[in-house]
Amino acid sequence: MHKRTLTAATLATVLLSTVALTSCSSTAGEASSSGESSGTLIVYTNSNSDGRGEWVTAKAAEAGMKIEIVGLGGADLANRIVAEKNNPVGDVVFGLNNMFFETLKAEDAVAAYTPEWSGDVDKKAGDAKDGAFWPLVEQAIVTVYDTNTVKSADAPKQVSDLWDDAEYDGRYEVNTSLGQATPQLVLAGLLAPYADEEGDLGISDAGWKQVQDYYEHGSPAVEGTDLYARLTRDEVDYGVLPSSGITSRDAEYATKTGVISPEDGVPYVTEQIAVINGTPRQEQAEKFIDWFGGAEVQGEFAAEFASYPVNEKARAEALPEVVELIESLPKQDIDWSLTRERISEWVEKTELEYLP
Amino acid sequence: MRTSSWASMFRSPFVVIITLVTLWFVATFLVFPNANLLIRTFFPEGQFSFRAVEKLVSSERAMNSLWHSFALAATLAVTVNVVGIFIVLVTDYFKIRGARMLWLGYATTLIYGGIVLAAGYNFIYGRYGFVTNAVRNWFPEIDPNWFSGYFAVVVVMTLATTTNHMLFLGSSLAKIDYQTIEAARNMGASTMGILWRIVLPALRPMIFAVTVLTFLTGLGALTAPLVLGGTDFQTIAPMILTFSKSTGSRDLAALLAVILGLATIVLLAMMNRVEKSGVYFSVAKVATPLQKQRIPNPVANAAVHVAAYALFVVYATPVLLIVLFSFVHSSAIVTGSISWDSFTLDNYATVFGTPAVLRPFVVSVVYSALASVIVVGGMLFVSRLLQKHRNPLTATLEYLLHIPWILPTILIALALVMTFDRPNPMVGGQVLTGTTSLLLIAYVIVKIPFTLRLLKAAFASVPESLEDAARILGAGSMFTLRTVLVPLVLPTAAAITALNFNSLLDDYDAAVFLYHPLYQPLGVAIKASTEGENNLDSMSITFVYTVLLMVIMGFTMYLVYGRGGSSTKRHTRRARTVAAK
Repeated sequence: MHKRTLTAATLATVLLSTVALTSCSSTAGEASSSGESSGTLIVYTNSNSDGRGEWVTAKAAEAGMKIEIVGLGGADLANRIVAEKNNPVGDVVFGLNNMFFETLKAEDAVAAYTPEWSGDVDKKAGDAKDGAFWPLVEQAIVTVYDTNTVKSADAPKQVSDLWDDAEYDGRYEVNTSLGQATPQLVLAGLLAPYADEEGDLGISDAGWKQVQDYYEHGSPAVEGTDLYARLTRDEVDYGVLPSSGITSRDAEYATKTGVISPEDGVPYVTEQIAVINGTPRQEQAEKFIDWFGGAEVQGEFAAEFASYPVNEKARAEALPEVVELIESLPKQDIDWSLTRERISEWVEKTELEYLP
Repeated sequence: MRTSSWASMFRSPFVVIITLVTLWFVATFLVFPNANLLIRTFFPEGQFSFRAVEKLVSSERAMNSLWHSFALAATLAVTVNVVGIFIVLVTDYFKIRGARMLWLGYATTLIYGGIVLAAGYNFIYGRYGFVTNAVRNWFPEIDPNWFSGYFAVVVVMTLATTTNHMLFLGSSLAKIDYQTIEAARNMGASTMGILWRIVLPALRPMIFAVTVLTFLTGLGALTAPLVLGGTDFQTIAPMILTFSKSTGSRDLAALLAVILGLATIVLLAMMNRVEKSGVYFSVAKVATPLQKQRIPNPVANAAVHVAAYALFVVYATPVLLIVLFSFVHSSAIVTGSISWDSFTLDNYATVFGTPAVLRPFVVSVVYSALASVIVVGGMLFVSRLLQKHRNPLTATLEYLLHIPWILPTILIALALVMTFDRPNPMVGGQVLTGTTSLLLIAYVIVKIPFTLRLLKAAFASVPESLEDAARILGAGSMFTLRTVLVPLVLPTAAAITALNFNSLLDDYDAAVFLYHPLYQPLGVAIKASTEGENNLDSMSITFVYTVLLMVIMGFTMYLVYGRGGSSTKRHTRRARTVAAK
């Protein structure tokens, strides 16, 4: 009997010390993440791939800033920031597009700050009204084809020809992962001309018919297979891509990309930067934004990663082919405040009713 | 003799402590955060909203996908049992030439899964796969898309999910009382008769447990339908994933997940009922190890050999291919034109050229090891408690412990972040959001149901006579648990620990919302290195990581099984000595 209580006591001690350990480590973790106002600056971004994260970290170190990049996909990152808003872990966020930033702003997850370079950018590309977030890089969402297999003359003039014309039936890729940013932007682009207060979710029936046809006649993207792989093995002829992805793919797949440039333009997105609301490292965060968004760093970034900077002074450094492409593509007129307000409902409706 | 009275449960201070700790854990980490999230989701303005139900019922696509998930789960519950029991029998029960090699081939599913596995099969049998190409050279009229839809998904998932059978049925089989088999043979029973009426019935508790797991895997199927399902056979999991990431649609995700979860719980309740009604004596009480059985009929023997080796080839090819592909240029893989020039070490150079590439491995190994040891250690006591003391309290506890099966990991992770972002009295006034401990807690949580199910099944197959003997000889309950019962379930516990460890190593869903910025786990690192608009080598890099993971996981399995035979025997012997004292 005595022995039994002893073992029980030992076990209880072990269990309790586990609990205690957990709480200990939590205190330690807390101290390093959000407790102090100095230390490593935590930078949240979805724009860390292809070596961008390492590049920014190294450049920041040169400039005397110690940063840690937390890189996650767009939707995941936005969700994480919103979920953490009562006890933020990150200090700065950049790279998310204006749609995500509108959400962060609506959730009070980012705080307004006017950077030193605010005069060098087009205010309309960011949050013109409140200055809660500021634009860095611009991208076009384009429909592409390989000119080795499709003659420019045969390519449709309007994107909507792809689903209106039986010739292209099943020959263009549609991305059905509507949780991701690019497919959401495609959807926003499709619906933008059909805004109608009377219609379902602010969109006329004709607009929804476009969405239905778009998915019905397309070939769904294959998980784990790049669009260009499908283009080169003649599975599809057309597909959608953010413009910054073209150069590297042409090199890899020996394709020569052609871009459909409709009269009404193509959707553009702007990647933004902001301070996360409630960070204890406000001052450092502001310093980082002033540094990263400035003409010098944005110019180097553009030259290195083929981006198209919003900062006008940095644009001179951008690659000529990037500038040429972006300037040849007219901007589609999209009501971003309507889009932000409605996009999750649009995604939901599309997911439930129209996806193949 | 199972006591169901409350009095006996509260007599032992040890049981009281375990009950209290379990209650605290369940209330703090399972019920409170998830209830919090679900209430916010379903009662947006303080009133229940039928919106989610209406939306889903009116969506043909949702209903179809839901139906597909159920059809898949039901099919797998049958096919996986057939294939799983077959491979356990040929490796552990029948005398088959080269059984050890076969075991290794079948065991490959232990060390890889998800997108890589589906892609592996697609590279072989898919539209551009080399088997398809080879066959089409001879028979050009064959549909290149033959390997897609329901059929392909069922085939791939059947082969991929026999892991649990191999580990847990295998260990149950090893414990069968061989003397009953000999006795039956002496009385003239046929090989099939013995198998059907003695061996399989003795395995029933474990078969039930793994069937529930299989059903659940089928319901949650994500990557195999995405890669191989085509437009005709999409399941509900991708939709749940999309919806759970959007605040506005989270109610739909939660509702769908709850439907799937409840289905699993119903199945679980049924299995519990059947399990309760049966009496099982499957552990050998005398030292006669199971001897492998010869198949007397030569035709049957040849047929079993052929089937076993055919399965071996099917199991082993995708793994070999993945190892091979990790040395090939990405574009060559996806365009399907591999020549000698395509081989390269670039993929490995990319992975190892990344600064601090080892750190995520270390972080994930530490997290996974801690979590799997904690969860198995804790559940050893809890499952014993649930099995020994049956009353409304423990029954409720048991169902509550299955909450992580009902909700998708993403929602559990979000619920944790949002609940512990302020000082919480349940955890001593700590803020857990943004700390290193929250991810560990999440890992422990998500592994609870799996661990509990299998440990309970393992305890169920321990005959009570052993325990009774120990008690009569004067052993205390803690002593009995430690020296008699735990050694008997130790092989299962070790296998669960290894499996938990392996599956947590490359977790992404929980980590993405919970990881501490300075401790990036592997799943997030892999995702980061394979994503990106200009990252065209993502598939190859995934393969490289898979190969590295295979090495770690293979090593884990070696630790558990490579020397497993001797330790099992030692423990059984020790248990017997104790019981005989």
